[in-house]
Amino acid sequence: MTQNSQTTADAVSTLAKGEAAKGEAESAPAVFSVRNLWKVFGPKADRVPGDTSLGALSPAELRERTGCTAAVRDVSFDVRKGEVFVVMGLSGSGKSTLVRCLTRLIEPTSGELSIDGEDVLSMDAARLRELRRHRASMVFQHFGLLPHRTVIDNVAYGLEIQGMGKAERRARAAEVIAKVGLEGLEQRRPGQLSGGQQQRVGLARALAVDPEVLLFDEPFSALDPLIRRDMQEEVVRLHREEGRTMVFITHDLSEALKLGDRIALMRDGQIVQLGTPEEIVGSPADDYVRDFVRDVPREQVMKVRRAVRPARGDEADKGVEVSADAKVCEAVEIVARTGAPARVVDNGRLLGVVDQTALLAVVAGVDLPEFPDQPTPREDVVPA
Amino acid sequence: MTDTVVKDKGAVDKGAGNVADKVADARSGGAAGLFGALGGGRSSVTWLTLLGLAVVLPVSALIWGGGWHDGWTVDLVAPLDSFADWVIANRDSHPLFLYFLLHISNFATDSVDAVSSLLTSLGWVGVLALATVGAWYAAGAGRRGLRVAGVTVGSLGAIGLMGLWDPAMETLALMIVAVAASALLGVVLGLAAGLSDRVQSALRPVLDTMQVLPAFAYLLPFVLIFGTGTPSALLTTVIYAAPPMVRLTSLGLRGADPTVMEAVTSLGASKFQRLRTARLPLARKEMLLGLNQTIMMALSMVVIASVVGAGGLGENVFTALSRKNFGMGLAAGVAIVLIAVWLDRVTAAAGVRSEAQPGRKAPAPGDGRKTALIAGGGAVAAIVAGQLVQREWPEAWTFDFAEPLNRFMDWVVGAFYTDVPVLGGTSEWAGNFTTWVLNPVREGMLAVPWWAMVLLAAAAALLVGTWRGAVTAAVSLGAVGVLGVWDKSMHTLSQVVVALAITLLLGFAIGILAARVPVVERLLRPVLDTMQTMPQFIYLIPVVQLFNAGRAAAIAAAAIYALPAVVRITAQGLKTASPATLEASRSLGARSWQQIVQVQWPLARPALLVAVNQGVVLVLAVVVIGGLVGGGGLGFDVVEGLKGSELGSGLIAGVAIVCLGLMLDKLTQPTSRAAASPASGASGK
Repeated sequence: MTQNSQTTADAVSTLAKGEAAKGEAESAPAVFSVRNLWKVFGPKADRVPGDTSLGALSPAELRERTGCTAAVRDVSFDVRKGEVFVVMGLSGSGKSTLVRCLTRLIEPTSGELSIDGEDVLSMDAARLRELRRHRASMVFQHFGLLPHRTVIDNVAYGLEIQGMGKAERRARAAEVIAKVGLEGLEQRRPGQLSGGQQQRVGLARALAVDPEVLLFDEPFSALDPLIRRDMQEEVVRLHREEGRTMVFITHDLSEALKLGDRIALMRDGQIVQLGTPEEIVGSPADDYVRDFVRDVPREQVMKVRRAVRPARGDEADKGVEVSADAKVCEAVEIVARTGAPARVVDNGRLLGVVDQTALLAVVAGVDLPEFPDQPTPREDVVPA
Repeated sequence: MTDTVVKDKGAVDKGAGNVADKVADARSGGAAGLFGALGGGRSSVTWLTLLGLAVVLPVSALIWGGGWHDGWTVDLVAPLDSFADWVIANRDSHPLFLYFLLHISNFATDSVDAVSSLLTSLGWVGVLALATVGAWYAAGAGRRGLRVAGVTVGSLGAIGLMGLWDPAMETLALMIVAVAASALLGVVLGLAAGLSDRVQSALRPVLDTMQVLPAFAYLLPFVLIFGTGTPSALLTTVIYAAPPMVRLTSLGLRGADPTVMEAVTSLGASKFQRLRTARLPLARKEMLLGLNQTIMMALSMVVIASVVGAGGLGENVFTALSRKNFGMGLAAGVAIVLIAVWLDRVTAAAGVRSEAQPGRKAPAPGDGRKTALIAGGGAVAAIVAGQLVQREWPEAWTFDFAEPLNRFMDWVVGAFYTDVPVLGGTSEWAGNFTTWVLNPVREGMLAVPWWAMVLLAAAAALLVGTWRGAVTAAVSLGAVGVLGVWDKSMHTLSQVVVALAITLLLGFAIGILAARVPVVERLLRPVLDTMQTMPQFIYLIPVVQLFNAGRAAAIAAAAIYALPAVVRITAQGLKTASPATLEASRSLGARSWQQIVQVQWPLARPALLVAVNQGVVLVLAVVVIGGLVGGGGLGFDVVEGLKGSELGSGLIAGVAIVCLGLMLDKLTQPTSRAAASPASGASGK
């Protein structure tokens, strides 16, 4: 895709900004705040969340006892400003229902839900429309484009709904179309585009209204693998450039690890683990997660920080420097090439060194006993 | 599935070709089906029931004697007659007429007159050019538009050449007003049905009933209220033609892609915005298909409505029927077919226009405006040109088709009517047929007591469909008895049964042939298209000449009229029944005959039942019209009623026809529409 190469320079310059945004995210305010959210389908659904005896049942038992299906069970999380929050799970795990609950495309059964501190569940129809029009817009797996409209009118659709004049909305739409790399296709209809192009239209339509949060519901599942990779990179690029908050639903673990700042792993409507990709892969919460992440190439997820050991002798003074947030695979390459341990630096401070043994231990998933999980800067290490 | 059932007789019956194909294509979805359900465990029940009936019917006929129980009739003829008298007496004075019905009547007359005088003042050049430009524009301009424009010039020009320009314009004026009103009514009701489940479930049985009713049965109530003339003809046509528009509008609205609707909602569209910007545009294709079918049904009704004074081409056909002038009738019939082809192509082309194909060149931004400008300019030029030349179609440019056709027909009649060595001639055939087939069947039906007939109807409906169908069939037949027209109904029913048997025999045979031999199918296709679009009246003319006025003629016309639909559905059903299975049987070395009997026939059973159902509906429609040529029975009463003399008994006969139609539909309905067997998909798209 041409726009990727053309913006490589931009990407490099905005890399720092993106990283900074990532750092802030730890303490950033929550955009979406979800507490004890339930969505139960079936007869008399609202009795299920309150009933503690039903809460512990497996989905099959629950269906047998009540005739209900709990798609989302007692889910709580915060989506922080500027982060990419990935909800990941197999089909039927409730992730798509969950993301629809955020803008009440599906009405939650019980729980609390707020956006920027404002209660979403108590909004009336007009307020809710405002939320959907300006604050959170969504990209869908099957695109949901209007087949009778041209690309530019599809992209401008959200603005049209808001009542914006034709010339103005077309101008805005043209900008967004350029941003997602669809120049020249403005007058085509969706049926004349490839799947990847259609999803770019879907993305542009969501971006055109300049929402605070972008919601993605398995947006790339219907695409070919190569196109999917292009689109993932597109999302990464957009996030770097704009720092927009994103909630991303996927069933593809590698996609989740690639895009997510934090990942919520769902199973049977519940979140079984919520953490950074490194935490999910490095410290699975239970056997289900462990099984799930077993085949993940760990060196591409885990960070060098994890393999650090204190510097011994003159190790602190020589060897190649590597960032503590670099991926393990980068350090592997350096260590293999130089044949010596590499120095690990975090914000200009020396954390220690990594050597072949430590890196191999991370790749193999074996935690060497003398290294704590999350190394903290040691007093005994003299900064370089 | 239930919502998507659009079983439209208009589709199979009047569609000039591609409409019927669409239905047939969609129908292939329902595989297994009714006879499948009857097979296995239920087949013994079926045979036992049939055996029981075979014993009960003759025995009961011998013991109890036939006919309806005399005391159990309600005489409605007298009150209806007095009501008709009251209507006629008060038509000009009662407030209901003065302030409501008279306005409708006047509006109908005025609007048809207005359109008619507009067409006249445009002149033939103006109409021809305007229609051509309109067709070109509706078909999306460009090259495909040109083809449709060519069809327009060809069909309208041919009508002019046949010397039928003026009656065609009269028909067209009535059509334009009727279709506009019908489409408007259909869209309003379709919107309601598409957006509200309650309206949908209330309308569905009404629509289902409307489409099994013979067009002829619609006329009388309107004649009662408005008398004969344009208002009756127009309103009948509007009511008769509206159902497909209602159904398909509702279907289109309900079938809107849920992912698109969700996406639109997620962007914060309000309810009205969702309807205007998404639901309605997404239903465009279905709505245009509905318009297409509405036009075809209106066209067939406009011809039938000539009986109550619609004028135009229908008038020509009707006059030709009374004068036994085959050439004149066929010429008018061909003109109607040409109008049908023209309108069908235009609406069909407009329907596919919006679906841009992948890879097709995107239109430049200014294109839409440019074609609109060209079309507008063309229209203005057309109007101006129309004023410059003589308005009437030039006399010199006509060719009399009627005369040679009549000479041909006379030769046929002369050669085959009577005294043909060995064979005997058509006149003798008709006599023998009446004596040895029709009379025994009728006498048999009359000899069986009413309750045995009701039992037979209920049992058959139950075997074919559901409990509800059986109850409907039994109640309908009972109602016929209560109305006091049992004997006449049996008279009509016997003709329907015999005509249906002939139709199915021929239809299945030709259908199998068409399905096996591609050349036959290719040759048949245009013939079937034409036959399906021809007005029913046309078929009455030659058969009356050959078989004399009477029941045999009515039956022959009914069989000819119903044949194309049966052939088409049979051929489609055989061809679409699992090609993979057929290939497997061929690979095992099955012969042609084995393939048909062991594979194609069983797999095509649901489609065949649809063919039977369609056959019944169409046969009944013509058998009733047969009242015009001495078919007797209920049709005769309706014809008398339409003449204005016996309105009461005509209305009763109309209701009885409705009841018979309902019963016959239930007897042949592939399934309950609700669930049961997947054959419900077989009844339509």
